[in-house]
Amino acid sequence: MKKIIGIIGAGIFVIALGFASWTLLGRDPMSFAGGSTVALEDYKGGDVTGVPTQLASADLVKRGEYLTHAADCQACHTAPGDAPYAGGFAFNMPFGTIYSTNITPDKQTGIGNYTDAQFLAAVHSGIRADGEKLYPAMPYTSYSLMTDDDALAIKAYLFTLAPIRAPAKQNQLSWPFNQRGLLAIWNVMFNPDERFRPNTGQSQQWNRGAYLAEAMGHCGECHTPRNLAFALNNHRKYSGAVTAGWRAYNITGDKDSGIGDWSDDDVYLYLSTGHANGHGGAAGPMGEAADDSLSYLLPDDVHAMVAYLRSIPAHASDLPRTVTTPAPASYKEGLVAGIDSRGEKIFAGACASCHDWTGVSPVTGYATLTGVRAVNDPSATNVAQTVINGVNRKIAEGKIFMPAFGEGYSDDDIAAVANYVTARFGAKGAHLTGNDVANLRKQATQQPKSQEPKSQEAPNG
Amino acid sequence: MLTLTINGQSRQVDAPADMPLLWVLRDHLNLVGTKYGCGIAQCGVCTVHVGGKPVRSCQLTVGDVGTRAVVTIEGIGTTPNGAKVQQAWMEDTVPQCGYCQAGQIMSATALLDSNPHPDDSDIDAAMAGNLCRCGTYIRIRRAIKNAAAKSA
Repeated sequence: MKKIIGIIGAGIFVIALGFASWTLLGRDPMSFAGGSTVALEDYKGGDVTGVPTQLASADLVKRGEYLTHAADCQACHTAPGDAPYAGGFAFNMPFGTIYSTNITPDKQTGIGNYTDAQFLAAVHSGIRADGEKLYPAMPYTSYSLMTDDDALAIKAYLFTLAPIRAPAKQNQLSWPFNQRGLLAIWNVMFNPDERFRPNTGQSQQWNRGAYLAEAMGHCGECHTPRNLAFALNNHRKYSGAVTAGWRAYNITGDKDSGIGDWSDDDVYLYLSTGHANGHGGAAGPMGEAADDSLSYLLPDDVHAMVAYLRSIPAHASDLPRTVTTPAPASYKEGLVAGIDSRGEKIFAGACASCHDWTGVSPVTGYATLTGVRAVNDPSATNVAQTVINGVNRKIAEGKIFMPAFGEGYSDDDIAAVANYVTARFGAKGAHLTGNDVANLRKQATQQPKSQEPKSQEAPNG
Repeated sequence: MLTLTINGQSRQVDAPADMPLLWVLRDHLNLVGTKYGCGIAQCGVCTVHVGGKPVRSCQLTVGDVGTRAVVTIEGIGTTPNGAKVQQAWMEDTVPQCGYCQAGQIMSATALLDSNPHPDDSDIDAAMAGNLCRCGTYIRIRRAIKNAAAKSA
């Protein structure tokens, strides 16, 4: 009997060990590339960190500004409608809500008193100036790859911003997630806290792209699925995940569920402008990533990110191949059996004038639904979020705008129209309910703002 | 300088490419028959035809018009269906306050261009994005059928 217990015990131990090491092996975002890596100071292949050569002679603050954009500090450290970098953005998670912090140089409520060493500890190790641990909503496991020089250039830039008094909002987390001390264990397991090591088997361009995507842009924080401990599972690197109520799509080379069928130019355009004709435009968090971060990168850097993205192993996920043929011109054709007519009615009144019954917009390529991944996602997550929140992006060519319908339409209405849109223009119709939509609203919600945002819309009765 | 084809005429416009077509029509070309309503493509009063399709001109930037021909309420009466729709509109005294009616006529004409004999549900699907606060919907539907009958 003892022997059996011993064997079972040993078996459990081996399985646990295997699971632990499998999990830990999943923490290196660049291990897929194989080959050998060297410390940055031993790398002979040229500069892969810092700013591009065009900016090499710029002053520290200017370089810091570029790198701050590259690391996209702004998107999370800004609450909608409030001052940039003053924090207060809500991360809604199954176990509670965390708020981002004020990283303006205000001495009481911001980071104005941070020394260089304290700033590096926060960026690389997730340790605040007072020694408390940050939650990994702050992507320090990605930023730990960033060089000290780059992190301190970012600090130099942030310290030129106007200090804004914005006290931290109280996190609302359930036990045991409210015990910051427990993160010590998490950090040992999931934050190697090592700087970027170039891969000698890859080109300089690839290494630059890897540095931009992993250390700076932290793409994996949204696009890589997480394991049970909420750490990135790089065994399925970039194969897509739901973050903050929006779906970050599969950006591996899988032809059906990923971006294997996109041309390099499409990927380049999508990254640098947030839009590629035939594939649609970025909205929600990716719209912010394009507007606050990627659109600031110089062309060589975006090309480097494309080269790196293209090298990531394809992982199939549960998304169907996108439909690239437009729907029929008449609303009467292209019907899907069993679909709620409410969705069609709402589409006719609120959507068809810009999106057309074919899905090919007569107004702008940004409004074309045909071929768009979100429309070809049978969960309709991002379609529903886009309907709720609208799109309001400023790009070099002007404004990209879609009204936010969340206030004027009920959860059932939004579910119906999202189901209709995915069925008519996509590969497979969604089956959202009003409850699903309510849940999506909750996941993406932000706390009431300190001030009502100034409405740019005309009064609408 | 942009060159647009509006109501069959070539027009030169000195406007930034991101200016909505509606602004260009009203403020640069003094074609004020097309109205401004909600500004977010939800009411339909600013509807014009671009490349033969009904488009909300408050959302279409002038730079995106390209070579597509633009027809506005000022020019729609010279098209066969536009003339029939305007005639039917008068016969059925459709407008009440009239503010939305330029957009209604543009959408109705586009409907007849693609579907010469629409039934009620066709009319609903095509006209649902054109709001009328006076509630002239019943007369609009009747006038569209009246105009369609004139095609014969």
